[in-house]
Amino acid sequence: MALPLHFAIRNTWKTLSSIKTGVVLIILVVIFSIAGTVILQRPLTDPDEIARAYSPSMLRFLDVTGLTDVYHTRWFVGLMLLVSLSIIAASVQRFPNAWRYFARPYKSPDDGFRRVLPIQAHLAIVDEEQGLGAAERAFHHMHLKSERIVRPDRFSLFAERNRISEMAVYIVHASLLLFFLGYFVVDAFYGWRGFLMLSPGMASNRVEMKSGEIRSLPFSIRCDGTGEETYTDGTPKRWWSKLAVVDNGQEISRKEIVVNDPLVYHDVRFYQASFGRTGKLDHLVLNAVPKSGAGQTQEISLAQNQIVSLDVDTKVQVAEFIPDFVVQDGHVYARSNDVVNPAVHLIVTSEKTDKVVNFWLPEIPGIAENASSPYNFEPKDLKTGVFTGLEVSHEPGQWAVWAGVILMAIGLTFVFYVVHVRFWVVPVQDASGNLALWIGGSANRNRDAFEQTFKRFVEQVEKELKPKFEEAAEKPVASLPKTTTAGR
Amino acid sequence: MARARVEQHPATGMTLVVMVGLSIAFLLFIAFLNVVKNGDILSEANLLYAALVFYAGAGALYLGFGVTGTESYIKFASLATWAGLIANTAAVAHRWYEAGHPPFASLYEMLLSFVWTLAALTLIAEKRYAVKVIGTVTMPVAIVGVVLMQLLRSDVRPLVPALQSTWLHVHVTLAMLAYAACALSFALAMMFLIQDKLNTESFLATTSIFTVGIYASVLTRFEGWGGFNVIAWDAENKSEVFLAKNVRLFVTIPDLGWLMMLVFAAVIAPLTLYILARVRKNEGFLLIANRAVFISILLQSLALVFFVIRVREGRYSSLDAEGLYPTNLAASPFILSALVAAIFANLLYLLLLWRREDLERLLPDADTLDRITYKTICIAFPLLTLMIAAGAYWANKAWGSYWNWDPKETWAAITWLVYAGYLHMRITRGWRGRRAAYFAILGFGVVMFTFFGVTYLLNGLHSYA
Repeated sequence: MALPLHFAIRNTWKTLSSIKTGVVLIILVVIFSIAGTVILQRPLTDPDEIARAYSPSMLRFLDVTGLTDVYHTRWFVGLMLLVSLSIIAASVQRFPNAWRYFARPYKSPDDGFRRVLPIQAHLAIVDEEQGLGAAERAFHHMHLKSERIVRPDRFSLFAERNRISEMAVYIVHASLLLFFLGYFVVDAFYGWRGFLMLSPGMASNRVEMKSGEIRSLPFSIRCDGTGEETYTDGTPKRWWSKLAVVDNGQEISRKEIVVNDPLVYHDVRFYQASFGRTGKLDHLVLNAVPKSGAGQTQEISLAQNQIVSLDVDTKVQVAEFIPDFVVQDGHVYARSNDVVNPAVHLIVTSEKTDKVVNFWLPEIPGIAENASSPYNFEPKDLKTGVFTGLEVSHEPGQWAVWAGVILMAIGLTFVFYVVHVRFWVVPVQDASGNLALWIGGSANRNRDAFEQTFKRFVEQVEKELKPKFEEAAEKPVASLPKTTTAGR
Repeated sequence: MARARVEQHPATGMTLVVMVGLSIAFLLFIAFLNVVKNGDILSEANLLYAALVFYAGAGALYLGFGVTGTESYIKFASLATWAGLIANTAAVAHRWYEAGHPPFASLYEMLLSFVWTLAALTLIAEKRYAVKVIGTVTMPVAIVGVVLMQLLRSDVRPLVPALQSTWLHVHVTLAMLAYAACALSFALAMMFLIQDKLNTESFLATTSIFTVGIYASVLTRFEGWGGFNVIAWDAENKSEVFLAKNVRLFVTIPDLGWLMMLVFAAVIAPLTLYILARVRKNEGFLLIANRAVFISILLQSLALVFFVIRVREGRYSSLDAEGLYPTNLAASPFILSALVAAIFANLLYLLLLWRREDLERLLPDADTLDRITYKTICIAFPLLTLMIAAGAYWANKAWGSYWNWDPKETWAAITWLVYAGYLHMRITRGWRGRRAAYFAILGFGVVMFTFFGVTYLLNGLHSYA
């Protein structure tokens, strides 16, 4: 029983860690991501629009398979989990090797290594000490610290730079895992997004989620004002809202937020998302002109349900405000809530005669009784109610994501631009018994640039050898870099 | 046949240089007369015009070099490119000063920056990497860019609230740099394939598939009875006509659809003949296919001319609204660029077909190209990463979340994945040469789709670019 299980685990592990699996998974992620950009997606698109775009049976299929909300379905999250596992498995599989490389660098090259190393050179020397000394000075010249390695059968020099670069890939992979952790785990379970609509003077702690449910915050947000500024051509220039945080009945802080600059309190963020008019009346400024000629024109301000006395006998109030009116069959209807074609229904009452007059602005024939009103009203100014739309989000996972971004930037810098270079210098005796200095070098990437560095190093060693031993240097024994290779 | 004919003409020394020089002088003189009349010398339009004149001169010389192989053209071509670049830089600076923000906020401004980057990269590639022939490819693109700019609205538009952020500039600059690096890696991969002795027929196949793809997408605008749908244009407000939020009004140009159909048939012909040649193993079909390419270029040019004429003039009816509406090239920048790109790709194929040996002589060797391609991607990939990260950070401030699965975001992530795949295959699997080059080409295809296709075909939050 134990054996098959053991095998199963081993095989699963092997499959997960193979680069083929990785590629297949990436292709799957790409395919489903593309599907999500081509098929209309649920939370973003209007339900009616989706219903119009697909036939009912098609839509049912898409809904059941989750294709109308690809990125939040269980199987997509599962796929990302598999990707994470594959990254982990692949890294763990390869890590010991890289770690060995990193923790126990190969410092003393043996014959076999010296034979196959692609980048190497030979220089004739008189004695070992002279050769190694020259190499040490050359290393020093290149700002490399060299160390003498002594083994029972040989001794040599070793110098290197940027060994950390061998670990860079793991840094990049770790940063990817941080992204997944932040987005698919932390934010998927603990994050939420909703919407809060406030009018000036209102306070609320009830945020409406995308699903329609209400989430109550432990504190409330009060709106002290909101507004819109436009460019001369009418396009919006700036939306702002003055917000205050009220916690336990106490005002904690205030901030004027604009698009791109949210308010943050207890890791909950409030974004300026939209601005609009409620279509309700805030107040109306009118000139009341008495018809009798007695008395003066007066400017009055009316809010909804507010009664204003014009003289001892006459009072006026707003009965109805219709932001976008249309008349049909002798009735007035509202066509929309946009303030594009407003009408006001005023009621003028006279206490003495108990007369009630329906005054309409503008005068609507058949309904308005403007002629029998003791006053004429001229509209001066109209202010309608405004609201601010706040996007509310709590995404604690973003800290993992930002950490991932920084880690990835570091990792990629190391992967692409920091090269681990190594040099070995070994005094050797060739077949005919002549003493020579074997110099080898390797770089883990950008090989052709390193070849130049290596060439410079060898030339430097030659120069260091010369003053004391000019005759030998006359006949160059150097066999400069033998090979060129496609760069890694 | 065709090749032999061209090669009979020996390279004709300085004639072209003198001709191009005279044309530049003439055009600048005309422009100068205009300036004297209107007074304003350093306006953006004038600077752009100067850039256009110089780029056109450079393009002609580079093309002359590409076709005849006369080395001396190169010197003058780069001089003209330098002059164009200076005028272009001045135009960018002027724009920046005028608008108060770097020129990345509209399609017009992005084209301005793009053309500048392209010219600068051309000079760098020429001087630093000795890829001399690159101007033959990039200069025509620059010219098309400048011409497109003349058609688009150029007035400084105020920024809508969501774009008022420093992150706009960070994000867009990174995107531009990353995309430019991807474009370069694509061009290098193509050159590698030439140097790697990929047979000319394969280029025929790719070019044909590309062209067929373009016309297939263009024909999504085909309307019954041969009409062709384009977005209506409101000349007064210099904007597209909207029926509702994000719903544009389309007008139907009669009969243009038939012409597009005809061209579609013409561009399918070379592909069909290529497939026939492969299936029947008959080289004869390839000869016909090459002629078919030539014919299709003529027809494509005809379609382009008719498209431009019909879109610029006249008012057309719409299926969605009563009355007649005008349209404008500015309302169809994608179709226009697609048509131009298709012609351009086919011309490049002809250049390869006729002058392959010269090209092989002038390009760096395959190994070098392979390495430079990889290096360019090593630059492009971190830039892509940073671009996405900057976008996420900005989205977090503007839209309330760092990741919204907006189509542009998703496609940027896909681009990133494709290049990540390339790097893995190259580093751990040792993919070199052709397979790597194909991968680089695929990557750039995805980049192009992210840049143009997503805006053109898919709706989302990224509606401004």
